Formats: sequence, structure tokens, C-alpha cells
Amino acid sequence: MSAGMPILEVRDLWAGYGATMVVRGLGLTVETGETVVIIGPNGHGKTTLLRTVTGLIRPKRGEVLLEGERVDGKTPEHLAGLGMVHVPQGDQLFPDMTVEENLVMGAFLPAPWKDRHRSLERVYHLIPALRERSGQRARTLSGGERRLVGLGRGLMREARILMIDEPSLGLAPVAIETVYGAIREIHDTGTTILLVEENFTHIGDVADVVHVVEMGSIVRSGPLEELSKDRTVVETYLGSL
Amino acid sequence: MTSFVGILVETIVLGSIYGLVAIGMTLIYGTLRILDMSQGSMVMIGGFVGWGVLVVAGWSPVLAILIAFVITFAMGTFTELISVQPLMGRRGFDFEMVTFITTFAVAIVFANVALQVFGPFQHNVTPVVRGGVDVYNRVNLSYQNMTMALVSVGLMGGLGLFLARTRWGLAIRAVAQNLDAARLMGVPVMKLYPLTMGLASALAGIGGVFLGAKFFAYPSAGDLPLLEALIVVIFGGLGSLSGTLYAAYAIGLIQATAEVVVGTTWSLPILYAIILLVLVVRPHGLRGTPSEARL
Repeated sequence: MSAGMPILEVRDLWAGYGATMVVRGLGLTVETGETVVIIGPNGHGKTTLLRTVTGLIRPKRGEVLLEGERVDGKTPEHLAGLGMVHVPQGDQLFPDMTVEENLVMGAFLPAPWKDRHRSLERVYHLIPALRERSGQRARTLSGGERRLVGLGRGLMREARILMIDEPSLGLAPVAIETVYGAIREIHDTGTTILLVEENFTHIGDVADVVHVVEMGSIVRSGPLEELSKDRTVVETYLGSL
Repeated sequence: MTSFVGILVETIVLGSIYGLVAIGMTLIYGTLRILDMSQGSMVMIGGFVGWGVLVVAGWSPVLAILIAFVITFAMGTFTELISVQPLMGRRGFDFEMVTFITTFAVAIVFANVALQVFGPFQHNVTPVVRGGVDVYNRVNLSYQNMTMALVSVGLMGGLGLFLARTRWGLAIRAVAQNLDAARLMGVPVMKLYPLTMGLASALAGIGGVFLGAKFFAYPSAGDLPLLEALIVVIFGGLGSLSGTLYAAYAIGLIQATAEVVVGTTWSLPILYAIILLVLVVRPHGLRGTPSEARL
């Protein structure tokens, strides 16, 4: 791969459910080491974008490139093998497995599997609450704890790009602080992150580039400082900065 | 009391062997969300493998179990690839219903091939392990029965360990509990499905060796075990491994008790009346969760 090639490039992507297109001609690039945040109201295609990039949904049109290689239409398990890590929205856990089994599943692929004990230690160190809950079934956890398990599971293997879907959704302020504390630490290790959120409130310390999505395509882009001076954007996505 | 113990011993032995078949069906239902009607064929095939290895070739029972494992594993994988895999990911039909029929069709083909090859006769398998032990007042438990029950229970325990401790065991449970998330972890589901059905079929195949040794090997030898396994699986709660185990022994115990108390004529009607009652009160079975059960 030539130097300077973006880790992820999305070109004119169209995707949705049945005949309804939710992602409509969306394009973006994510450079190595960057944290890119996508902001937008509910139902405007943010989750669908991530699900399409990781292969859970087949795009109707457009291209997804991972370091220059076309990967659109590939299966999620294939893309996982190429180093995509997706922390899905809500509690997409294995409900009848313990917290530790959930985490270990994050290291299912052959190479991470060999390192799973070390990875487990690292995740427990990063998110200590998980160690206390390690033997508990995921089904019995609170919403915030589940989100932490989802995030921890995503950290069990090295990611070429880590995609996180609305980590703050439905969480109490304290839990949000824990989740974003962990994201900040991952960001600081140089991991490339593509993050989706509904508003600006929590992304202050992590966002390098922010894209605003409306009706399935990007309507504004730029560094956070720049967008936060844009009155229409601020008025729409009233996050306190 | 003597007759009760006698019947109890018999139902524990039979329950353990049927449990092997039922637990395979549960594994398949939990993972693929289908009722695999070809599991009875695996019992039948296992029976013929046992007969071939023990009687025709005169080899050891350990070899019979190993060969049955390999052959029925391959047959189960093959069955998945021809009757289930082609239907996956397609829309506009009831997947569970259609695979119910396609796997049943495969079972009919297997049974008729066996009929052509071996004829409609019952092939007798002479006992391999001789002797027995009196467990209670002239109730004899043959060493052969004891061995078969212990091996069955051991295999079920082994399956439990496999699912709890190993990489691929965890992957099977992950697919059963959250398919999308499992794929995001990199689990190759399209390979995992045939392997799961192969594994379940291999358990049924070994059960078939035992049932063949206990009764006979013949082309329709899988019919009754399939029905028994279906009842056990639904009574226990679809997709619940522990429920399947409870159900296998509960059904045996109810039947044994009924036989002693009211005699053979009424034991089956009573057993099924109780099953009906339990299912009407708990439609999701003993251990199934109301929405969907998971491994």
C-alpha cells in the first residue's frame, strides 16, 4: 500500500432496507490514526452506514475501499478478517454468555485468539468494571455495563479501523464518562476510529474531523472548532461544547 | 418395587441414548433454527455401521463408535450442504418450515437407499460386552447397557465442555445467541453451520450404534428415535441444552412410574397426557425462554 492512502474510503454509497434507501450517495475518507465522527439525527443513515461498511448490509450502489482495496459486498466475517472492528449499537452481545466469554469472542480470529489472555488483561485494565462482572451473564447487566462489554469486546483484537455506533445512547452521564474515557484512551494509542453520535456533546476531546449527516448524505464537514462556529449546525445539534 | 427398579434402569439406559439424539437436534435448532428431520437417518446409519463393523467385520466396539462418528459426521455435513445451505439468506418463505421438509426428504432418500442395499430385514447385533450386575433384588443391569449409558452421558458432558471451553464451541453458541454479532467477530457462519450439523449427526450416529446393538439395525430404525427426540426437544424447550437433558430423563421417569402404577397399557397415554398438560401450561417447554431459547 502506498503511503498516505486512507484507511477507509466510501464513495457515493447507497444502501437501505428493501426499496427504501437510507444512505443516499454518501462519501467520506478516514486517514490513518484519525478519529472521524459522524453526527446526525436519528434515522438519517448513520447506523446503516456502519452496517454497510462492515458488510451486514449489501450496498445498492457505490464503493467501500479499505486501504485502496474494494471491499463492498463482502461478508462481515471476511471484513472482520481484514481488520475491521465494529462495536454495534445497543447491546449486540451474546446474552447467555458470561462477560468474559463475550470478550473472548472478540478475539475469535486465529491471530488474536493466541493473544486472548493478554488482550483480556488489557481490556480489564482499561475498563476495570468488566473484571468485577467477568463471570456474570451478559443478559443480567445494566445498559451501561452492556455498552462497556460491547466496547471491550471490540478491543480484544487489533483494529485497522474501529467503528463505534452511538456509544452514549441511552446511558446515564456517569456511564457515558466511563465509555468516553475508554474511547479517549484508545484514541491516544493511535487507533483509527470512525464514531457515530447523535450530537456534539461528548466528542470534544476525541474528534479530529466531524461530518454532519442529513437524509443519508454528508452536508457539512470539518474540524470540530470550525463546525462549532457554524450557527446553523450548532442550532440543529445543540450539544453544549 | 422390583419391577419399578427394572423399568427405571431400562429407561435411564434408553433415556441416555435417546438423549444423545435429542441433544444433537437441540444443537441444530439453537444454531440453525431448523428442526432437522434427517437426525433419525443418522441413527439408522449408525445402526448399520455398528452391525457392519461388529458383526460383518468382527472389529472392536471402539472402532464401531469411531467409524460411525466419522461417517455420520460426513453425512450430516452433506445433508446440511444440500438441503439447508442453499435456502439460507433467501427471502419470501418460511425457512423453518421449508427446511423441515427438505431435511425430511433427505431422510426418506436415506431410508430407501438403506432398504435397497440391506433389504427390509432386521440385522441382529450380538452383545459385545458380556455379563452384568444385580442392582436390586434380581434386577440385572448388563455391562453392555451400563457401558452404553455411560458413554452416552460422557459424550453429552463432552459436548457441554466443547461448547463452554473451546474456540469453535464458543463460536457455535455465539451464532446461536446473536448471528450478526458473531459474524462481526469473524465467525465463518457458512462453514460453521455444516460442521454443527455434522457434529449433531455424529452424536445421533453413535446413538444409532447403541440402539442397533440393543435392538436391531434396519432401514426404519431411525423413525422412533426421531419422534422421541422431537418430543424430548420440544418438551425440554427448543434450543435449550439443559432442558433437553431434563426432558429426556423426566419422560423416562414418568413412563417408568406409569408402567408400574397402572401397567403398560396405560403408561403411554398417561405420559402423553402429561406432556400435553405441561406444554399447554408452558408452551415454550421446561427450560425454553418464551421468545427464543439459546444454547
